[in-house]
Amino acid sequence: MIAEFGHYALVLALGLALVQAIVPLWGARTSDATLMNVAGSTALAQFIFAAASFAALTAAYVGSDFSVVNVFENSHSAMPLLYKFTSVWGNHEGSMLLWVLILALFGALVALFGSNLPATLKANALAVQAWIASAFYLFILITSNPFARIAQAPAEGRDLNPILQDIGLAVHPPLLYLGYVGFSISFSFAIAALIDGRIDAAWARWVRPWTLVAWMFLTLGIAMGSYWAYYELGWGGWWFWDPVENASLMPWIAGTALLHSAVVMEKRNALKVWTILLAILAFSLSLLGTFLVRSGVLTSVHTFASDPSRGVFILAILVLFIGGGLALYAWRAPLLKQGGIFAPISREGALVFNNLFLTSACATVFIGTLYPLALEALTGDKISVGAPFFNLTFGPLFVPLLIALPFGPLLAWKRGDLFGAAQRLMWAAALGVVALAATFAIQRGGPVLAPFGVGLAVYVMIGAIIDPIERIGLFRQPFAVAFARARGLPRSAWGTAVAHFAAGMLLFGVIAESQWNSERIVSLKPGESVSVRGYDLTLDNMIQRPGPNYRELVARFSVRRDGAVVDVLEPAKRTFPQRQMSTTEAALMTVGASQLYLSLGDIGSDGAIAVRLYHKPLVLLIWFGCIVMVLGGALSLSDRRLRVGAPKPARHKPSLQPAE
Amino acid sequence: MTRKQRRLSLIGAGLAVLGLAAGLVLYALNDAIVFFNSPTDVVEKHVAPGSRIRLGGLVQPGSLVRGDNLAVRFEVTDGNKSVAVSYTGILPDLFREGQGVVTEGALDAAGTFRADSVLAKHDETYMPKEVADALKKQGHWKTEGGGYGLAGSTKETKQ
Amino acid sequence: MTLWFLFALMTAAAIFAVLWPLGRRRGLGPRGGSDLAVYRDQLDEIVRDRAAGLIGEAEAEAARVEVSRRLIAAADAAKPDAAPLAGATFRRRAAALAVLIALPALAAALYLKLGSPQLPDQQLASRATTPMQNRTLDTLVAQVEDHLAQNPNDGRGWEVVAPVYMRLGRFDDAVKARRNALRLSGASAAREADLGESLMAAANGVVTDDAKAAFERALAYDPKYSKARFFLGVAAYQDGQGSKAADIWRDMLKDAGPDSPWIGMVREALASVGAPSEPASAQQPASGPSAEDIAASEQMKPEDRNAMVRGMVDRLADRLKRDGSDLEGWLRLMRAYMVLGERDRALSALADARRALGHDTDKLRRLDELVKELKLEG
Repeated sequence: MIAEFGHYALVLALGLALVQAIVPLWGARTSDATLMNVAGSTALAQFIFAAASFAALTAAYVGSDFSVVNVFENSHSAMPLLYKFTSVWGNHEGSMLLWVLILALFGALVALFGSNLPATLKANALAVQAWIASAFYLFILITSNPFARIAQAPAEGRDLNPILQDIGLAVHPPLLYLGYVGFSISFSFAIAALIDGRIDAAWARWVRPWTLVAWMFLTLGIAMGSYWAYYELGWGGWWFWDPVENASLMPWIAGTALLHSAVVMEKRNALKVWTILLAILAFSLSLLGTFLVRSGVLTSVHTFASDPSRGVFILAILVLFIGGGLALYAWRAPLLKQGGIFAPISREGALVFNNLFLTSACATVFIGTLYPLALEALTGDKISVGAPFFNLTFGPLFVPLLIALPFGPLLAWKRGDLFGAAQRLMWAAALGVVALAATFAIQRGGPVLAPFGVGLAVYVMIGAIIDPIERIGLFRQPFAVAFARARGLPRSAWGTAVAHFAAGMLLFGVIAESQWNSERIVSLKPGESVSVRGYDLTLDNMIQRPGPNYRELVARFSVRRDGAVVDVLEPAKRTFPQRQMSTTEAALMTVGASQLYLSLGDIGSDGAIAVRLYHKPLVLLIWFGCIVMVLGGALSLSDRRLRVGAPKPARHKPSLQPAE
Repeated sequence: MTRKQRRLSLIGAGLAVLGLAAGLVLYALNDAIVFFNSPTDVVEKHVAPGSRIRLGGLVQPGSLVRGDNLAVRFEVTDGNKSVAVSYTGILPDLFREGQGVVTEGALDAAGTFRADSVLAKHDETYMPKEVADALKKQGHWKTEGGGYGLAGSTKETKQ
Repeated sequence: MTLWFLFALMTAAAIFAVLWPLGRRRGLGPRGGSDLAVYRDQLDEIVRDRAAGLIGEAEAEAARVEVSRRLIAAADAAKPDAAPLAGATFRRRAAALAVLIALPALAAALYLKLGSPQLPDQQLASRATTPMQNRTLDTLVAQVEDHLAQNPNDGRGWEVVAPVYMRLGRFDDAVKARRNALRLSGASAAREADLGESLMAAANGVVTDDAKAAFERALAYDPKYSKARFFLGVAAYQDGQGSKAADIWRDMLKDAGPDSPWIGMVREALASVGAPSEPASAQQPASGPSAEDIAASEQMKPEDRNAMVRGMVDRLADRLKRDGSDLEGWLRLMRAYMVLGERDRALSALADARRALGHDTDKLRRLDELVKELKLEG
């Protein structure tokens, strides 16, 4: 009954989405407030039914109801409870249900918290949101139904893909989807504005918090995915330029560009046409990412060819929304009025610079990801575009962007003083050069790139915080005064500084990890040792241990530094009998922001085990950088300006008040 | 500056950056991409020793030999031709005889493929796309059962 | 019944969510913000920033002028919120009516097409109280038996349980289940042949007259039905008519498509009666199933495979009893017993083999290798 309840709830959610897609639009065209109001309650109800459906599927997983095909194929009764939850979205059907649930969630959030929006904009945006939702509900119900049943429940499930049985991967997709799908709001707002024909500075302010939320989740999701790949795949790599990763990176870059151009639009009423285009592109790239990952085009011709209905359906969705969005844009955008004027050297100019480089970088990723597919379709040649390609294209484009980054916040709107800004950045540049020289001296003959990278990273970090430091008069004023001024500084300014600082951290981590990483691959017998960067690791023993649904071979290493034991590491190889698969569990030892990384290979015929040992200096800065960047976003989000226009609670009792 | 000049300067800057990006892409595409070859391609096209390629196919059952110091040798086959591969390092979790594999490296003068990386697959139903296509071309693709393997040419079972 | 009640409730809730705003008449002016509020706030912000010394006076003044201009433009553009109401009642009623009809209709149509309302939940906890690890096939079978005791006319149930009985070696029960399935679900080539197979298994691999009759009935439904033909061949062989058996099997091979999974088995059977299946494969050593045959047999259902293996093993044992010099045959026989889980018979086969091969050291060495591999001794 629970499964059928979920199935019916999903069908009803589709029905409600269709209502929400049509009625408010009719209301907006006829200026009928009553019809427009339908959008809000319908969006909430649609979310509730989607959530009920998701909850039902989760219940089926937790209760190991193998009469549900999806549960049978992806679960196992002996699996730990946590993974029974996470396996709900560890497969195609469930993950699409999660996707559409998040879509409905964002719709419901706009319905609840969008009371500061003009009624027509809100109605139109929710209607567009519902078109997307309807398409995905149909997709799920017709091609990927998670509630398909088997009359006789099999005795045991097939287990979740072992590589997915990991906490990192458990939280990664929901975060990523919150990001992907969050851009649907920017998209819906852009389409709604195009339908309405009225786009101005206020639009940017309304859409900015939603974009910011989506961007924050996407940042976290990508960082989490990267960390998961780092420790679960056993290769010590944190970014592979794999098409699946690129699929999430592209909307992130477009979203970052959108965040910046929306600032210009909000402050100066300029770059309107461009901002709308970015809003459409960011979500289009999210859809493309979903298509690339879900249609099976990338991973295997086999899955795509054996079940083309899915791929073709997603392709149709893709064409409908991207094509439709861009066509509407081409038709309506020329009608927009010109905005404010600015000189090339100005805050606006800096943000345009940022946008140019970000979109170009995004375009290179796009080409690198899709070129092999296109080439194969046209000529039949198969090529692989890997890290070298992206390092050659993406890297050079980011260097000028990072050099220009600290200038932006220092330039005034309209007409800036480049010389003045450069003077204020003297300190940052000086410290950067010092860092460069110091690195050069310390590493003596190490990788050439490293000193320059470190110098640039230091420059970006210091340059990012110069603006707030000067503004609050730190070091020049008594601390109490500076503190009071710091409180007075808009949160968004803090957010900018923190996020830009984080970009420097991230760069530092990337440079340190890629340039100074040391690797040892050896095969060891118990009692033998291996050394890296002053750490001596001795293989003490190897034991077999049973887990809940796997067996693992654990190798115990003691880590010594200068003869004293500092840690014991236990990397393992797990074997999952249900799927005849094994996974590598790397063991990590963290020292500051650096890590020792130890993973196991196979046992050779002589009883020695293959061991892969890395020392990864400052590698954690990569993910710390992402987290700090998200904190910057959160600071900016908490700025009171973004909540402007919300009606005072006492004035009017809103029709649907959330229980806060 | 007038509106027109402003617009022109914007467009100019945009074109310059795009030009830079395009230049980088073209340069990188010449330099940093690797062609994929099946064993049949390698044998029939006479791939030059030393040029970097990807070689993909199935690991010939029974061909895996482990040497000292993590050296391994195995053969990659597409059912038609096979190429000997040598590699030093740790093989991915999902490396198994009879399963799909993609290796990257170059041929040496003796015709052995010296791989410097053996690609990990993400899950057990994931056949590297190039391998799947190469096998299909050779008519050794087995569709049923969700699995894949080297099917004898007499049992091309297609329902 | 509860389920349909629940569905009705859910539908009502969904309709209510749409109708509720349509039904409200009061206080529904287009509430919500407008851009005026945003621009007023931007003006406030300029004042604040100026007061905090974050921007210069000239900058503040320029910004103020610009925002004010936007504010005025927005105020001009803001239409007085009136006007819409022509036809409002009609629209409301039309929308309400459409939703009232379309929503349940769509939901019902789609769900009835996709859903399985007749299926109850089968959560693990309700399927068995013991944890999964401790559950044996027997308890599952017991559950099915309970179900069948209450619903003896469930033909599908009998059909599902029959192969399980076969695998558990409960051949008599399998025969009963097959007969019930046949009676309740109607006769077909497959059901008749399955019955024959069960009967044969119940008679320790001997094709009894009953079994033979069943196979013949199967062929009456489908003259090309391979399982029945194969076992009729076995029947002929067991009757001592080796050439007739070979004829039947050779005919099967002639009809075989390239993808028939049983080709290997038939060839094997032919080889075991000493008849070549076709000139080409005559050169194949008749010693063991080729890789292809094994692959082919892997595509068969396990119960089919088991029965076939059992039949072949028995024949092989007979042959080796008559002529014990075939080392490959002995090796194959022992492997087969181990696969079937019959360790004792494997051991006695080993003893027989040692006796028969007694003088050939090379062959004995290979025998010992196998013993080690199978971990038969020690």
